[in-house]
Amino acid sequence: MALRIWASSTANALRLSSATRPHFSPLSRCFSSVLDGLKYAHSHEWVKHEGHVATIGITDHAQDHLGEVVFVELPDIGGSVTKGTGFGAVESVKATSDVNSPICGEIVEVNTNLKETPGLINSSPYEKGWMIKVKPSNPSELEALMGPKEYTKFCEEEDGGH
Amino acid sequence: MRIPRNLEVWRLGTVNYLKALKLQEKLASDRKINKITDTLLSLQHPPTYTLGKRRTDYNLLVPESELKNMGAELHYTQRGGDITFHGPHQAILYPIISLRDIGLGARKYVENLESTMIELSSLYGVKAHGQRKCETGVWVGDRKIGAIGVRISTGITSHGLAFNIDPDLTFFKHIVPCGIADKDVTSLRRETDLVLPDDEVIQEQLVSCFARLFGYNDIIWKDKNVIEIDD
Repeated sequence: MALRIWASSTANALRLSSATRPHFSPLSRCFSSVLDGLKYAHSHEWVKHEGHVATIGITDHAQDHLGEVVFVELPDIGGSVTKGTGFGAVESVKATSDVNSPICGEIVEVNTNLKETPGLINSSPYEKGWMIKVKPSNPSELEALMGPKEYTKFCEEEDGGH
Repeated sequence: MRIPRNLEVWRLGTVNYLKALKLQEKLASDRKINKITDTLLSLQHPPTYTLGKRRTDYNLLVPESELKNMGAELHYTQRGGDITFHGPHQAILYPIISLRDIGLGARKYVENLESTMIELSSLYGVKAHGQRKCETGVWVGDRKIGAIGVRISTGITSHGLAFNIDPDLTFFKHIVPCGIADKDVTSLRRETDLVLPDDEVIQEQLVSCFARLFGYNDIIWKDKNVIEIDD
């Protein structure tokens, strides 16, 4: 336990943002990356706020726990998303899992590449595997989300605590 | 200290597919707000074909009207997976459980469902295996004995697994089962030399395998009539 805390705080101090960070929990299968500059929901979605647009996807931790994604269902442009409510779904290992929006807003773009290449969610969850872009209706909602440190701790507890 | 976990099991007998679906939706909603504990429905369906979210109806090889003549229904669902058949003498388990409470992701959950059916098969001397070349389900050699199709919404599961005790396998001829064209479907009856007990006994054993694999401390058995639950 002490080693894990040391490693975690050292990693933070070194600002190891896009590098993979080992989880020392024995129940953890592999490394899950957590990026600086993003906000995170308890349901394992990430949000990147740039100007008037927020990009949303699912995290590395989420894609690892899902398995190989074979199908992605996305909403239409022009629709709206509500905080904590599903906007789409992914299918992996014969399981469809709803994907929730961490914020409220209007959908301005969806990643149509995911129709042909759903595996982008596995191979590039924070970049090519983005799911929707939203115009936030209430940008202060982003403040309530977790930062990278908090989300890393949340994942460790979720994986290790059972 | 680990809090003891209970599983409430509802033995429902044979239930129409849509009735069972409606019940699952209500239970999942109750489970989400912690109104109920983890619940497992144990049942069978009358002859029913179902499709998953991807709506792969090109894997249905006969017109829908012909299904009606056979006495079978067809339903489109939100679960994962391809087309499949449910019918008498096929054990169905629909777990309505919180994956977040037990820290499981979809992949591990489905592996545990496979293990449930593998363990049950081994009770009858049948060597089954899962995760066959990334094809989810349970197989005996090249023959599929158990299927899985799951929905996870806000961390709560619905739909589940179907294990062939001794269903009429000719129903599978009218579909490309699970989208896999060149492999056979089989049943416990076909694979074991042992005399099988009543379905109810096998279903109870299946539930016990599930409960053990998922680490439940206690099973609370309830016999329910779906018509009563409607209210």
